[in-house]
Amino acid sequence: MNFAVVLVALLGSVWLLAVIEGWTTTGRLRLTATLLSGLAYLGRESIVPRTPDRVFFETAPVLLLIVAVLGAAVLPLAPTLVIADLATGALFINAALAYVLVALIMAGWGPNGAYAMIGGWRFLGQLIAYAMLIVMPITAVAMRAESLVTTVIVVSQDGLWNIVYQPLGFVLFFIAAMALAFRAPFDLPTAPGELGGGVDAEYTGVRLAVLRLARLTLVITLASATTVFYLGGWHGPLLPPWAWSLIKTLAVAVSMLLAGRYLPRIREADLMRWCWILGIPLALLNIIVVGLLVLVVP
Amino acid sequence: MYAQAFFVAVFGLAAIGFGVVVFRTSSMVRSALALLFSQTAVGCMFLAMQTEFLGVLQIMMMATEMSIMAIFMVMFMMDPGGMGGMDMTHQKRFSIGAGVVAAGVAIVVAFWADWGPVTAEAPDAAMQTRALGMELLGRSMLIFETAGITILTAMIAATAVAIPVQTTANSADKEDTE
Repeated sequence: MNFAVVLVALLGSVWLLAVIEGWTTTGRLRLTATLLSGLAYLGRESIVPRTPDRVFFETAPVLLLIVAVLGAAVLPLAPTLVIADLATGALFINAALAYVLVALIMAGWGPNGAYAMIGGWRFLGQLIAYAMLIVMPITAVAMRAESLVTTVIVVSQDGLWNIVYQPLGFVLFFIAAMALAFRAPFDLPTAPGELGGGVDAEYTGVRLAVLRLARLTLVITLASATTVFYLGGWHGPLLPPWAWSLIKTLAVAVSMLLAGRYLPRIREADLMRWCWILGIPLALLNIIVVGLLVLVVP
Repeated sequence: MYAQAFFVAVFGLAAIGFGVVVFRTSSMVRSALALLFSQTAVGCMFLAMQTEFLGVLQIMMMATEMSIMAIFMVMFMMDPGGMGGMDMTHQKRFSIGAGVVAAGVAIVVAFWADWGPVTAEAPDAAMQTRALGMELLGRSMLIFETAGITILTAMIAATAVAIPVQTTANSADKEDTE
């Protein structure tokens, strides 16, 4: 039951995000346009490039979708509305999202095309930049909750959300989440302006539809993770818990969208430099500050 | 109990299957990712054996490690895509012999070793994580910290070695090209 509800919520959020994305791009609010263009993909020819690595080419879009859904499986919408309330939930989401890299390398290598391959390997460089900024802020979140269970992490924020308790961690996690979801300004693996779509370049038809769906699902999963780790999850007045979770998740996803719209794309060398020289020391500082707060403040 | 044994066996066979693919393919990326999925299957075996933390950790760590290995293999091998038809194996007889002997020894040890009494019931996952944390920050702390510092030293040393030495001659060249 929980599985079906979470899956429907995920799909609904993806649809709403796509509608909002269309709205901010074209200036027109069209509720059915996303569904129609999604259906149109299914009718188009799905071209397979010459001498591809067929296994990688076919597996990559599906793998990306699976890892995005697996990541969402440990994130609660309400106290009991979670697919798997694992004892290692906060670690599990890292494990699931590590395979985004694997899927993108497969999507890059599979089609036997230069643009796609550069896009795929670029994401490996991007991972070396953002990986620590995902793991270290989550460590600080788990320190406050004294647990890796995602529902316990939400309960620990009752009264004071982590965005106030550890704002530095929130900022770092938010930026790293955008890099993980390869949204602008960190959309180096696809980089429409310079790589002709990068990992997307050789995909057409139904395969491209799955790839796009997976990418939007990934954004929603990361927005949901931000909500659970920093925005108090289901906590909020008047409305039911699941409604608060959905509202916050969508708000985070839209803010990622808008942040990307107004910022120039960052070169991967600069991204790595800033993440390592500034990001990692700040993430360590965040762990120290949270550690002191946990010990000193009752 | 039977379900547990079934899943351990299935993931074990998957691990061996992907392990075979590592050596059967000529594509370096395929080979690296087959090794990744072999290790992921080992992680799934941990999960089937109710050691949740170790399983999730194994699944997480391997994704990044094997992907980084893949790019190094692509950089340094002569035929990374495996489409040039190059045979990249060597010392075949010796390696087959070594493999058979090692497998035989592993099987003999597995059947003859005294594994002690079987745990009737595993503690729940949260307790295991806690116990592991206590172990890592207690009795085993010195060992792990020593290992950590050693690896960090090796990484810094490797990076230092990889950076070209700046001499007066080549720094002048560099300025010219810039």
